[in-house]
Amino acid sequence: MTTVLAVCEQRDGALRKVSSEVVTGARRIADALGAEVEALVLGSGPATGADQLGGFGADRVVTLTGDGFGTYAPEGYAKAVADRAKGGQAVAAAVVCAASAQGRDLAPRIAARLGTGLAADVTDVTVEGGALIAIRPVYAGKALLKVKLTGKPAVLSLRPNVFTPVQRPKAGTASTVAANAPAGRVTVKEIKAAEAGALDVAEAPIVISGGRGLKEPANFKILEDLAHAFGGRAAVGASRAVVDAGWRPHADQVGQTGKTVSPTLYVAVGISGAIQHLAGMRTSKVIVAINKDKDAPIFKVADYGVVGDLFEIVPALTAAVKSHA
Amino acid sequence: MELDVCIVGGGPAGLACAIELARLGKKDGTELNIGVLEKAEALGEHNLSGAVVNPRALRELFPDLKDADFPFRRAVDKEAVYMLTGGSQVRIPTPPTMQNHGNYIASICELVRWLGGKAEELGVNVFTGFPAASLLVEGDRVAGVRTQAAGLDREGKPTSSYSAPNDLTARVTALAEGTRGTLSQAWCQWQNVGSENPQIFALGVKEIWETKKPLDRIIHTLGWPLPTDAFGGSFCYPLEPNLVALGIVVGLDYPDSALDIHVLLQRLKLHPLFREYLEGGELVEWGAKTIPEGGYYALPARRSGDGVVILGDAAGFVDVPSLKGIHYAMQSGLFAARTIFQALKSGAATGDKLRDYDRLVNESYIIQDMKKTRNMRLAFKDGFYVGGVKAGLMTLTGGKLFGGKIAMHSDAEAERLTPGVSPGNPGISKVDAVFKSGNSTRDTIPSHLIVGKDITKEVADFYSHVCPAGVYEQVDGQLRVNPPNCVDCKATDVLGPRWTPREGGSGPKYKRM
Amino acid sequence: MKIAVCIKRVADSETRVKVAADGKSLDDAGVKFILNPYDEFAVEEALQRKEKAGSGEVVVLALGGATSQETIRTALAMGADRGVLLQTDAIPADGFVTAQAITAELKAGGPWDLVLFGKMAIDDYNSQVGPMVAELLDLPCVTAVSHLTIEGGTATAEREIEGAVEVVQCQVPAVITTDKGINEPRYPALKGIMAAKKKPLEVKPVSLGGGAIEVLGMVPPAARKEGRIVGEGAAAVPELVKLLREEAKVL
Repeated sequence: MTTVLAVCEQRDGALRKVSSEVVTGARRIADALGAEVEALVLGSGPATGADQLGGFGADRVVTLTGDGFGTYAPEGYAKAVADRAKGGQAVAAAVVCAASAQGRDLAPRIAARLGTGLAADVTDVTVEGGALIAIRPVYAGKALLKVKLTGKPAVLSLRPNVFTPVQRPKAGTASTVAANAPAGRVTVKEIKAAEAGALDVAEAPIVISGGRGLKEPANFKILEDLAHAFGGRAAVGASRAVVDAGWRPHADQVGQTGKTVSPTLYVAVGISGAIQHLAGMRTSKVIVAINKDKDAPIFKVADYGVVGDLFEIVPALTAAVKSHA
Repeated sequence: MELDVCIVGGGPAGLACAIELARLGKKDGTELNIGVLEKAEALGEHNLSGAVVNPRALRELFPDLKDADFPFRRAVDKEAVYMLTGGSQVRIPTPPTMQNHGNYIASICELVRWLGGKAEELGVNVFTGFPAASLLVEGDRVAGVRTQAAGLDREGKPTSSYSAPNDLTARVTALAEGTRGTLSQAWCQWQNVGSENPQIFALGVKEIWETKKPLDRIIHTLGWPLPTDAFGGSFCYPLEPNLVALGIVVGLDYPDSALDIHVLLQRLKLHPLFREYLEGGELVEWGAKTIPEGGYYALPARRSGDGVVILGDAAGFVDVPSLKGIHYAMQSGLFAARTIFQALKSGAATGDKLRDYDRLVNESYIIQDMKKTRNMRLAFKDGFYVGGVKAGLMTLTGGKLFGGKIAMHSDAEAERLTPGVSPGNPGISKVDAVFKSGNSTRDTIPSHLIVGKDITKEVADFYSHVCPAGVYEQVDGQLRVNPPNCVDCKATDVLGPRWTPREGGSGPKYKRM
Repeated sequence: MKIAVCIKRVADSETRVKVAADGKSLDDAGVKFILNPYDEFAVEEALQRKEKAGSGEVVVLALGGATSQETIRTALAMGADRGVLLQTDAIPADGFVTAQAITAELKAGGPWDLVLFGKMAIDDYNSQVGPMVAELLDLPCVTAVSHLTIEGGTATAEREIEGAVEVVQCQVPAVITTDKGINEPRYPALKGIMAAKKKPLEVKPVSLGGGAIEVLGMVPPAARKEGRIVGEGAAAVPELVKLLREEAKVL
């Protein structure tokens, strides 16, 4: 029975959410190939949350330990995973990672060690005629590339927040194996907090942007409150009009001519939707617009719109988000 | 940096000059150090035209090539001229000056990029992203140019990406800056080189559409939506059957201060004649540019001096009735190159030697053509119908009737009436339009526009209507200026705030305009 | 100080993407090509380090068609000393094949104090050639570096991870892939542009293997589903939150 390896990710001994996405993706591939999913957790010991992986389809959950594996050890992890893919009775059919910050660093190393290519940042994967077919966005999402992976194993990394974790209960038998891999020459010395206020609008997963509809600079407080309700994952952006008017600093500007942001959730508050703004945030996964003018162009682009007084709607939204947090 | 020849402007005039110069140098075995300074980030990005091009200058520049080798899109086949009213059109016979048989539909951007390739093959240095900001002079001689600094913040202070101005000295400087050239104007003022009439300008606004319905002819229109007291018209050219350039041009001496050419173009698109082509299509590019329209009487008395020559639109070599300027630009570049080469060979490029450029131009078809139509545009200062009659009579008589110069006021002096009607904006907004010009100028750029103090609400309104790019807005009675929007059309430079060169690469990024 | 910088010619980010007739690639008619923005950081980093060291050589390496020479010239105009083009008209879809070709050239031209890449190319977003080359060269590697200091043979790099900054160390020589924030790339100066024409640029045709990734096709993204107005006023909020949670799955 062939194996699909799902390379999970832990931080400080706890599994990151993206791990369940990786297992879900691996399970999909394994089902199509008639293979088993082996979830790999690299660390100093079993990670919290590893016992959930069976529920997402892992037949086995193997914790690979090694000196210095408690924090991300790029070379050690790469060798451990590559060895695992090659070792055993048969070469794994596929090695699946997340295209997270760590995964984007790790996956190419694994692929190179295996002497094969990597399909990175994949948004969909199927199997046709026994071969893995992956879809990956290119040209900043303006096109999708369909590729066939012919390597053995095929190595791929999955875009986060796309492979929604699906319950597919399997045995999830846990074991711990000492990887025969030194930590390597690259050492993570520390993980420090990003500079205060450094959550860049261009990179934040959630962006809440305000326009002239806010009427005056002090009113941006209601957007900041909403951002806080999302617990550190949201940045407050501003349309060019309000930055030009001096209400918000230039660093907060979204929809500057040419600047593209692509958060998971974009909330446009009191912004009518000039084309440059729209083009700048159009590739956001989900767009919510709040505006008192039901004919505002932004509603044509938004997935969900609420017409009305933003001074009533936004605080209500803040309260609702907080209570669900 | 020292050059033999510094050419300011990488458009058709500047590049034609560079190519011919390089070729003359090669043939002669003299290696000339030629530099072309272009303010756009890449060649073509600041060039905009209709365009229907007369191939004659290109043929002279490249005698070994055939028309099929030139970067034209297609030969003009069918053409039609219409007089528009709000809901319909009347086909009128094509005026003789607008016969385009033998000419080619082209994108000036594509032409410029092609010329640039030829220039670089010949060893010309093309420096993109380097606007020339001022002339370097020694006594009365032009000794070169100084480029604009880059990387300044809104207050004009250097940021970490600051790049200082460069001084380029050259034995000859050729000013091929295009419409409203800053250095050309400065030189003429400094050297007291005037013209019989002040130069006047038109503003053109243009869009390119990918259409569902193919277009098989070039179209020109007069009349609606322009008011009868404004001079201008519209054009519609198929670059490909389903790739159509559509634009409207208006002389900037219009009396209605609320006239907004952006609004007029958006309105034009709704006219039945055009609407059927645009239905279901997609707007892919937008742009704007002024055109010198003063004709023969507005040409500077001389376009050469000690160490300097002025080419193309910067000199005003545009024939309004036929809407042609590109081949004049290239021809002037050719003449300039030959004169410069001879002058450099014989020593210094003094005013005497370079005067030969003026002679070549004056004896050529450039001036012949412009003389014939010298009063056609000027006739329109009295309004469309009167002007039209006069213009018609001029054509019929080959310029002999109404042959004495018609005195012209400058656009800035044209009397403005108080605001008229300004209905809503069909089509796209100005901000949308700017986006479609490819403009991604950084928002922290210092303002390059010199605006007067104490601008009244009425004047602020006027500026906001004139500028097609939304640089000026009237907000609560005050003027608000958005310099990054600027697409370097120079319209308000004609009528109000002065345009100055800003950091290289700023402004539009035209692809096929 | 001998530094190699690997660069790529890419379509400008504002390009309107049209699929070519082959159904698999970008229709490059009228497309503006530029030096990959992330590679600009790499070139700048190399130049700064060479300048700080007082002497050395910065070599720029690209894999691509003949037009990639323009891109190499841009880097030379910034100040790099010489360039090498591994010329092929078919840029591999498999980054490992690219990595192998680049490694062979780097091995021939080494040893290097530092090998720099941009963290990813803005056309394919693969982010893989740099670390793969490091594996093949058996050099330590840190990717997506937004801050780099090298002291006494130790490189200390900062890289952004989700919600935090990772501080990583390794010994040099090493492979570093650069991210925004590491420096501010200089504009090529006029003198630099002129000098670039005279700097050595070697063109070496290469023929590459097939690799393990085969492009079957390129298509435009699915059209965005039409959105809808959920409701009016604060009363619409509970429905909105429900949709964001259950339908859009972003909460």
